[in-house]
Amino acid sequence: MQREVGTLPLAPALRARLAAAGFQTAQELLDTGPCGLSKEIGISKEEALEALQVVRQECHGDAARTAGGSGATRKCTALELLEEEQTQGFIITFCSALDNILGGGVQLTKITEICGAPGVGKTQLCMQLAVDVQIPECFGGVAGEAVFIDTEGSFMVDRVVDIAAACVQHCHLIAEAQQEEEHGKALETFSLENILSHIYYFRCHDYTELLAQVYLLPEFLSQHSKVRLVVIDGIAFPFRHDFEDLSLRTRLLNGLAQQLIIIANDHKSAVVLTNQMTTRIGQSQSTLVPALGESWGHAATVRLIFHWDNGQRLATLYKSPSQKESTIAYHITSHGFRDVQPPAVTHSREGTELNPRKRPRTEEEKQ
Amino acid sequence: MVVLRAGLCPGLTEDMIQLLRANGIRTVVDFVSSDLEDVAQKCSLSYKALVAVRRVLLAQFSAFPANGADLYEELKSSTAILPTGSPSLDQLLDSGLYTGEVTELMGAPGSGKTQVCLGIAASVSLGLKQHVLFLDSTGGFTASRLYQMLRAQTENEEEQASQVLGRLRLCFVLQLEALQRVQVERVFNIYELLSALQELRDRLSQQVVSSMGPLKMVVLDSVSAVIYPLLGGRQSEGLALMMQLSRELKTLAREFSLAVVVTNQVTRDSSTGLLKPALGRSWSFVPSTRVLLESKESTWERASTQRAASLAKSPRQPTGTQVELDI
Repeated sequence: MQREVGTLPLAPALRARLAAAGFQTAQELLDTGPCGLSKEIGISKEEALEALQVVRQECHGDAARTAGGSGATRKCTALELLEEEQTQGFIITFCSALDNILGGGVQLTKITEICGAPGVGKTQLCMQLAVDVQIPECFGGVAGEAVFIDTEGSFMVDRVVDIAAACVQHCHLIAEAQQEEEHGKALETFSLENILSHIYYFRCHDYTELLAQVYLLPEFLSQHSKVRLVVIDGIAFPFRHDFEDLSLRTRLLNGLAQQLIIIANDHKSAVVLTNQMTTRIGQSQSTLVPALGESWGHAATVRLIFHWDNGQRLATLYKSPSQKESTIAYHITSHGFRDVQPPAVTHSREGTELNPRKRPRTEEEKQ
Repeated sequence: MVVLRAGLCPGLTEDMIQLLRANGIRTVVDFVSSDLEDVAQKCSLSYKALVAVRRVLLAQFSAFPANGADLYEELKSSTAILPTGSPSLDQLLDSGLYTGEVTELMGAPGSGKTQVCLGIAASVSLGLKQHVLFLDSTGGFTASRLYQMLRAQTENEEEQASQVLGRLRLCFVLQLEALQRVQVERVFNIYELLSALQELRDRLSQQVVSSMGPLKMVVLDSVSAVIYPLLGGRQSEGLALMMQLSRELKTLAREFSLAVVVTNQVTRDSSTGLLKPALGRSWSFVPSTRVLLESKESTWERASTQRAASLAKSPRQPTGTQVELDI
């Protein structure tokens, strides 16, 4: 293996010593053996053995791949990816306009970021998604579980109960309308207690706890393999106050983003983050932009910005790899996140014009 | 700095090495740069043997000077120019992407870097029928969007076909083949990226005939996502890894005549408030051409699909030219 020593994941002090001693490729290291290695660089035999194990693992990984073995590699052609994407499900949000601009709903294996001013509905959407991910497949859902990591303390269980109850009722209505056997069977498991018991809730108080939680997530997810959604409500909050060193913050955030994308990819789950807004003071005006800086903007694959407009809540799709940018209006009712219904007393619009975004509720589920 | 070892060249025996080491000569560089008469005296080895060994070592380890004219001829025959699929971008890049070079696309989030990369991959895979390796480190690769672009491109080209049904099937087959020529690898961390590049180099140098076929382009989206977690702080190993990566990319591009496309982020300059490319000054020497993508409207309140691409660094064109792209 002609891997250079500089490219192997060893500790920097060890790497410096190896370079000083004149080792260049991994093959030379393997040839020397642990005793020779410990003598040459002056480290203990255990350290030399450990280092050689790491090197051997890397080289074996390489060899397996060149020989054509698959293993746990993430390599495939675009055609295979296309087939995979077409069979992948989406997590619907119960607001058909939002689902449309997202291309069907919140996508699995991608990080979606929701930014918005306080009170616009980010936590509501997160709670709605935590319930929606559990909808059985015959109703158009992904039948998964949810992990909710809360940093702001805004998770209200009573609200989740309301949302879940509305969702269950909705599914009952569809089942009655369609009268199919599998619907009935699925409804037996889709009850209020089940929904609540499949939302795993974690509370983190500062950024170290958040980082630790995210780094421990892969282990948790391998034990609970049905998890299809990870929500982190308030990723900006622990990083915004009390941070003197901005470059450290950027580094930590980037490491966090990489870890989240690995989780999303390996476990085929969607990751949803909520972010706050901050004011940028330009030359002549000030604008509201998402917090945590420019470099954080690259972490999320899909970015949604929620904002107010004269008492109406709007959602803008700002960044997406496959959909066009657009804006829609939404509404938050006692049942949760919903489409905008045309007002009962039409004061601004022409009376006979049907709101093109409104669709009858029962047809929404047939996806 | 290779350690002297028995068998490196004929005439270098184990005893010789032990004697040399006892006198402080451990690597090839030490050997070649020391005074041989002195060494012969101290180690009681024959001068002739040492000279012979030195000649062989020099031949093995030093670089060959190349003639300028020979280099030009070689470049003319091996460099290819790959069209990007968008005529205005081609115009900006002096008719396309040059093989043997690293080109960088930079822009703010949502400015269209991944889209341009997908467009280029679609054009090379469909139009030139060459293989493309797409290294994705952000999870932004969507195969359905690539398929959409391929469909749009084949419909443009197949206008002359007579039979409608035959044309549709032909289009479909062409698109499937083009999708198969794009290989996607997900790398989320610098070591995975380096091992993927190493594996690519092994495969290309052994010329293994697999599904890879003739590779012409490597797209890395994005380089800053893997390097950012390492930069900064007191340790300088982040910079070292970044330079290792840049060396890998450049040697791959040069040795195997590939076009390498890299995407980068932009950060905000703290003093002036202007946008500047991420990864700092050291990285700015790596790509030979840099294109900055920005959207026409700077705020998100009025979204638009118009994008402007401006040339920030190029060995061939004057910088500062701007063209409009439509995604």
